[in-house]
Amino acid sequence: MAETSNAPETVTCTIDGMEITVPKGTRIIDAAAMAGVDVPHYCYHPSLSAPAQCRMCLVEVEKVPKLVPSCSGTVADGNVIHTQSEKALQAREGVLEFYMVNHPLDCPVCDQAGECKLQDYISAEGPAMGRGKEPKRVLGRDDFGGDVLFYADRCVMCTRCVRFMREVAQDERLTVVQRGSRAVIDTFFEEGLEGNLWADNIVDLCPVGALVSKDFLHKARAWDLDRTPSVCPNCSQGCNVRLETRDNQVMRIKPRPNAEVNDHWMCDYGRLNYEWINRGARIEAPLVMDGGRHVSVSWSQALTRLADALRDSTAGVRAVVSPFAANEDLGTLRRVLETVGGGTGVFRCETGEEVPLPGFPTLKLRTDRAANVAGAEAFAFTRAGGTDGTGGIDDVAGHDGVIFVLGDELADAPADFGSRATLFVYVGQFLSPAARNAHFVLPSTTFAEMEGTFTNVQRRVQRFWPALQVPGMARPAWQVLGVLLAGISEDAQVPGTAAEAFAALGAVGAGFAGLGYDDLGAMGRVLPQLGALAEAGD
Amino acid sequence: MAATVRVMKRPVRKSSYIRATLQGMALTFRHMTKSAGDTSTLTLQYPEEKKHISPRWRGTHVMETHEDGRPKCVACGLCPTVCPANCIKLVPGEDDQGNRYPIVYEIDEFRCIFCGMCQEVCPVEAIHVGQHYENAEYTRASFVYDLDRLMSQTHPSTLLWDPSDPAGE
Repeated sequence: MAETSNAPETVTCTIDGMEITVPKGTRIIDAAAMAGVDVPHYCYHPSLSAPAQCRMCLVEVEKVPKLVPSCSGTVADGNVIHTQSEKALQAREGVLEFYMVNHPLDCPVCDQAGECKLQDYISAEGPAMGRGKEPKRVLGRDDFGGDVLFYADRCVMCTRCVRFMREVAQDERLTVVQRGSRAVIDTFFEEGLEGNLWADNIVDLCPVGALVSKDFLHKARAWDLDRTPSVCPNCSQGCNVRLETRDNQVMRIKPRPNAEVNDHWMCDYGRLNYEWINRGARIEAPLVMDGGRHVSVSWSQALTRLADALRDSTAGVRAVVSPFAANEDLGTLRRVLETVGGGTGVFRCETGEEVPLPGFPTLKLRTDRAANVAGAEAFAFTRAGGTDGTGGIDDVAGHDGVIFVLGDELADAPADFGSRATLFVYVGQFLSPAARNAHFVLPSTTFAEMEGTFTNVQRRVQRFWPALQVPGMARPAWQVLGVLLAGISEDAQVPGTAAEAFAALGAVGAGFAGLGYDDLGAMGRVLPQLGALAEAGD
Repeated sequence: MAATVRVMKRPVRKSSYIRATLQGMALTFRHMTKSAGDTSTLTLQYPEEKKHISPRWRGTHVMETHEDGRPKCVACGLCPTVCPANCIKLVPGEDDQGNRYPIVYEIDEFRCIFCGMCQEVCPVEAIHVGQHYENAEYTRASFVYDLDRLMSQTHPSTLLWDPSDPAGE
């Protein structure tokens, strides 16, 4: 063994033969994770207290007479820890056998199958055969209210759900009733979890299939889902999420840890508001107004004709953009507007009540219910319209110059929107009545079908990746507008990738200068210069 | 355009068919005399007579049902997962008693390679391959067997293992 460190803040220990130096006070389970050793556990969660009651994380520490629960035991200097010693494995096998006394073998109908910690640990280190002969306890299931269903038989009594509601949501609605083998999780009142915006996090926390989402019930098997890292588009908090898809449909949204933004949590509003991503009836080909009706043409034709029309245009430009569009889209549109002499642009955003998460104050369901409001503002688009995301485009509707619409569906726009415009370009996903007046209709992708970035309320730029296939000939708006820009501007290059489109944003977006995808990393990057502002306004 | 074919000269001995024909006829005659008096028939009087098939024959599928007529399937999704031909379509749902069951269960028998892995993997012994080989249909579409069709199959299902000795010991 190497010499032990004398510095007070670190300790050195050996875990399964690997020597590791960690800060003093580190839990054994975290130290093991740093050494790349996964210790089985149910009750421990990095963002909750550790009651050490599941007994799954027992490990052997040399010179300690009894096995130590690694979630509550801290690393001491010179500890030699064995997670896979015979004693530890034997103890954990015994614990698992006790878990199986009453756990039903209903994996075929259980939604957690495939991502269940009990399945994983039993197959990794559980007994090969059960010895129980007695019939299992049958409790049935209970509706906990909100989106949560409780299957009491499957519960392993880790109490993560109870502790989440107590410590993080700080809205104690769950408790353990009875004692010993009769213990079961229950709600206090009839309404259960109804009305708590953070309740679905206990479904993520549940290591087994005891707490399941009603929305996801029987919808897809865990192993069928493709998981893509993304950013929640439903409010300006920008929670890091995974889009879980099957057959080109988003099936559910799960949070992805980011200690700076959402820790391990996300709200039910963002989590359950995903059907719009799956919406069909998309525009699938570029359309050009020819003799009063739309004709579908190739991309090169559409963009060549648009570039010609735009190059000759001298009229003023007005734009309506969507706060759901990526930074790359908004910034490239701003570059186009700058090239044709500048222009004003507005965005509309639905707003709602702000709901904080008491145990993690950084995370709130934000007022602005769109992902990229800060991004739109960074590219000098201004807010317009009411709190329901409508109105505010009257002066654009009757504008007699050039109109650009990016992503905004114009659902509430009058049917003669843009009919007086000399050139009306609609880049979007859906052909609403107002968009039918457009001279050019260019199909673009949603955030789920493209690579890009959103800027959240902290002015943090975070990346997302494509999870779904693009419908028809639709292309990301940054690509469409980037090709257009190269057509009307001498010194603009066609961006080949989202990274190139992002790198070119510095010219038009405050703080984006010199920033590339490589700088964003896993946690995102708060825009420079304006970081102080974000803290004050947070 | 007239084609000119050059006929190569070959020795008659090598190019004549007469000798080979006579050899063939001699063989036929030998068999004829050999089987004279043998009354056994090799021809099967199909379709009145059916060929005997092995108990492990893997033919078109059968869905087993409960006594009340519900399918035994719990829509766990293991058969579409294991299926190497990707021929099983399954949409799970919940019935009025809170049981998980297949809303849609379809097997495309054209895509099926009759490996029997769906039966092997089934945790509730619901889907089986069947002892059946007469599969003619009038349309291609009717080879996609839906749940009703699978439940109303009349042929026996196949035993891929001995129920008294499932592990084959």
